[in-house]
Amino acid sequence: MIEDLAMHIADLLANSLRAEARRIEVGLRRRGGDLVLEVADDGAGIPEGELGKVCDPFYTTKPRAKIGLGLPLLVQTAEEVGGECRVESSPGQGTRVAARLPWDHPDRPPLGDLVGTLVPLIAASPGVEFRVELSDDRETWRLSTREVRERIGDVPLTHPDVLLFLERSLREGMGRVGLKEER
Amino acid sequence: MKLEDLRKIRERAEAELRLRGGAARVKIVVGMGTSGIAAGARQVLRAILDEVSRRNLRDVVVTQTGEKGLSAQEPIVEVHEPDRITIYGEVDEATARRIVVEHAVNGRPLEDHVVEMREVTR
Repeated sequence: MIEDLAMHIADLLANSLRAEARRIEVGLRRRGGDLVLEVADDGAGIPEGELGKVCDPFYTTKPRAKIGLGLPLLVQTAEEVGGECRVESSPGQGTRVAARLPWDHPDRPPLGDLVGTLVPLIAASPGVEFRVELSDDRETWRLSTREVRERIGDVPLTHPDVLLFLERSLREGMGRVGLKEER
Repeated sequence: MKLEDLRKIRERAEAELRLRGGAARVKIVVGMGTSGIAAGARQVLRAILDEVSRRNLRDVVVTQTGEKGLSAQEPIVEVHEPDRITIYGEVDEATARRIVVEHAVNGRPLEDHVVEMREVTR
């Protein structure tokens, strides 16, 4: 079902967008032997009393549940490889999901096509400000759609040239912080 | 890639817009809710953006939206034109590319995969 970490990220972003977030931060950090994946938003947050349930995969099978599958699947993926996943949320303030996975664990899902997943979602979400931060123990690389928009004015992020810029930038960033993998 | 590169992109895009004399002709909306993503919506969105980009379609806007309440029909793609809205269901990558070429470019909706077509009265 979940082929790669890019799919987990797409799922978390879908949750944030559905929670009507206006700011979404995506972090991918190599910390020592771990990969830390983080998505934080300023959306509606998870209602009081429901935070304990959102990681239960059966909870999401209820009709019209407002929680996506992203969380329980990510928790399962992280725990299967000896990592962990934490969810913090304040109703009306937003949600932060952080998962730690051992980079070298043989069963860790591959990163997958992060560029091909992140860029279309970012570009096709007008009105939402994204910050992407990639880092390792030596370097941090950032991309902010606010900074991009300041320079392109009314040109949409889905304009072919802007899209190409975003893809190339993200690929460059991934290369700089050791997020390229041969798997 | 540097942020400064974007200034040139902006200048070119604004010149194109002036030449075209107006806003986008077609808007394509991809359903990116959880059920859409599970059914392959991210590949569909990427295929659409790739096709729009490769064909240099400057008058087509692509956006995404959340759940549409049609889980069984996901991935869903809507094509908004001035006089009609066409909703396609169970769209895969190949169909997504056909939607761009046959519908967005040539103005001929596909005969298959159509869930609903609505006339827009102004």
